[in-house]
Amino acid sequence: MIGISLLVCAWATPPAPAQQVNPFEGDAAAVTAGGALFAGRCADCHGADARGSRGPDLTQRWAAGATAESTFATIRRGVPGSIMPPSAAPDHELWAIVAWLRSISVAPQLVSSGDATRGRALFAAQCQQCHRVGAQGGSLGPDLTQIGLTRSREALVTALREPSKSVQAGFRTVELVNRGERIEGVIKAEDAFSIQVLTVDGRLLGLRKAALGKVAPRAESLMPAFSADKLGESELEDLLAYLGTLRDTGTGAK
Amino acid sequence: MQTALRAVTVSIAFSGLLPAIVSAQSPSAPIAPAAPSGVTAADIRAGLAEPTRWLTFSGDYTGQRHSPLTQITPRNVGSLSPQWTFQTGSYARGRGFETTPLAVDGVLYVTGSNNYAWAVDARTGRPFWEYRRTLPTNLTYGALAPVNRGFAILGDLLYMTTLDAHLLALDRRTGGVVWDVRLADYRQGYAATLAPLVVDDQVIVGIGGGEYATRGFLDSYDAATGARRWRLYTVPGPGEPGSNTWPNVEAAARGGGGTWMTGSYDPQLKLLYWGTGNPNPDIYSGNRQGDNLYTASLLAVDAKTGTMRWHFQFSPHDTHDWDANHVPVLAEVPFGGKPRHVVMVANRNGFFYVLDRVTGELLLGKPFTATTWARELDANGRPIVLNADGSSGCLPDQWGGTNFNPPAFNPKLQLFFVNARETCARYLAQEPQYVPGEITPGGVTWIDRDKQFGALRAIDARTGEMKWEFRYPQANLAGVMSTAAGLVFSGDQEGNFIAFDAANGRELWHYQTGTSIWGAAPMTYMLDGRQQVLIASGAALISFALPQR
Repeated sequence: MIGISLLVCAWATPPAPAQQVNPFEGDAAAVTAGGALFAGRCADCHGADARGSRGPDLTQRWAAGATAESTFATIRRGVPGSIMPPSAAPDHELWAIVAWLRSISVAPQLVSSGDATRGRALFAAQCQQCHRVGAQGGSLGPDLTQIGLTRSREALVTALREPSKSVQAGFRTVELVNRGERIEGVIKAEDAFSIQVLTVDGRLLGLRKAALGKVAPRAESLMPAFSADKLGESELEDLLAYLGTLRDTGTGAK
Repeated sequence: MQTALRAVTVSIAFSGLLPAIVSAQSPSAPIAPAAPSGVTAADIRAGLAEPTRWLTFSGDYTGQRHSPLTQITPRNVGSLSPQWTFQTGSYARGRGFETTPLAVDGVLYVTGSNNYAWAVDARTGRPFWEYRRTLPTNLTYGALAPVNRGFAILGDLLYMTTLDAHLLALDRRTGGVVWDVRLADYRQGYAATLAPLVVDDQVIVGIGGGEYATRGFLDSYDAATGARRWRLYTVPGPGEPGSNTWPNVEAAARGGGGTWMTGSYDPQLKLLYWGTGNPNPDIYSGNRQGDNLYTASLLAVDAKTGTMRWHFQFSPHDTHDWDANHVPVLAEVPFGGKPRHVVMVANRNGFFYVLDRVTGELLLGKPFTATTWARELDANGRPIVLNADGSSGCLPDQWGGTNFNPPAFNPKLQLFFVNARETCARYLAQEPQYVPGEITPGGVTWIDRDKQFGALRAIDARTGEMKWEFRYPQANLAGVMSTAAGLVFSGDQEGNFIAFDAANGRELWHYQTGTSIWGAAPMTYMLDGRQQVLIASGAALISFALPQR
């Protein structure tokens, strides 16, 4: 017979599992080079000290269970639903950045000496309506399940006291009028002709701009500012203590 | 995806310059509690009665994939035009983009290859959010077929299976994970790719992995919490009914019988209809003498308790990887002068079956392909095998006379539409070595690629006779959709998305999508008064509609 071929497509051999080790682990020159690469490419979002600004604090990654391999993979692939892009840089550059991050990584940090139990009650009363932790909470603001790992104390204080100082992409406020209905929400996506909004009452709404009466992005976050008169210093400490416990690194698998 | 996100940032940065945009001045409104999505168990039971929605994998519980929409007709379908393309950026090498999106209130909920998922604006194809699962690097079956076939929805939760054999509940507003349960240990060969099925307050989900030493099961989970309600193993344990169809406990314990394709449901009988996969190993069978129940079968399962009401085995002691993981199609079909509640399956073994869905009684079983394996069934529905191993003429290949790609059924015409595969293969069995987590096909298949073609076939459900066919140059794995306007939509291996006249199989319209339509079936719904038709192809989702007047 002509054209007989061995069919392999259905039953190829799966890739062999391999835990990759950083070839630059402990290599001082590579660590220095990695720090320079980080300063040029990553510090804008993660801060020059990698303690987070727009992007997460990276100094507690290893304490949270990350490995060189998983950190490499995150840099290579980026983080979906965030502004963290994938990287096409050569492997050795990524490994150098990973080596530098490892060199500055620290043990888990105590965010506050306040009372986490009281903080939890405050969270349930003041925050949970918009923020999810695990299976509980709202959807309008960022998921805080891992916030204790990804934000430093300073970043959390700023986010509470001055939430409008830095609003993450995907959570910027918009107000618009659609067929006479005034709608407020956060911008999930936008192009020249359309806007995709999560409304404050939990609807995903895709709208053509030409059909809208008004589209008004706002610099202010939808999150109220918890100034000292609304949230006293001891309450702030309690809330920070609770947020510091939110360190779920797993998938939440049971 | 990154490009899209960057575009958002830029657009916001310059928005102050656009004259259409007025700067904010109104005070912040109090934040109202989140509104429920409005998708209830009753809505899902009502199927496609609400024209703006598509709430479950097949559109409704019958598995007919038959839409009542009639705006697009055989007369006007020629002017069907693409409205937008959503490029997912996630591609399954050697496989397809196999998803069926769900449509709810102007939002499409879409799962993709490699366990990506999105909420997409149905008007523009722009994403609200993207979800991407961090997968282990040592996936087993999930690495061979990194696909997913769709979400299920209830309330504000979306349900999705994963390549590392978990079931997730995502928040439909954000894509955030609300709960995550493990179905099985992926390292042994398990993976989950099907769209779950929501029935009342439970999520029904199956598992794949029959190419490995695994044991199939069907599970029910509490939709709110993810707690498991029941598990039905598809291969019996020691002493259980059917265990005598295996030579020993070891063979049964690794006996396969995956449940990796979404089943159907009869809310009156409260019975699930679910197909089971091949026995393991796929080809070699010297270590699994017997019929190997309940592999390569259709199971009728009590949805409340998970107990099996009846079974029908299509391919006893299968040695060709002929899984019965098809969407069972429920309908009323007249037999002997009276309407019968039936379940229909066009099986990988090349036969078309009609069973009474109350009792499992065989009403009709006829080949819909040129298979040489068997040409007849005995009185009990057992094939009279003529050519078990391909030694007397070629056999259908291990992708079968058709595969998991969904068929469709037009109840008015009583026509069952299926993409048939006419192929020519020989099977060479080899005894496998069992190493945990390693594939055990138990042989290889030789395929004569010069002797194969595909065809969309319309089978009369009352007689099993072929009413018409449309031939493609290659065998394909595209799904099918039917509409009440008398249209059939499907696709081909070369990338064409095609509309056919349901009455005669005439091609009325086609659009070249650029790569194979592989495993995906179309869906349709109304949006702002216009009927939309969607198909997934390659890494893209494309929406079509008639030109706006």
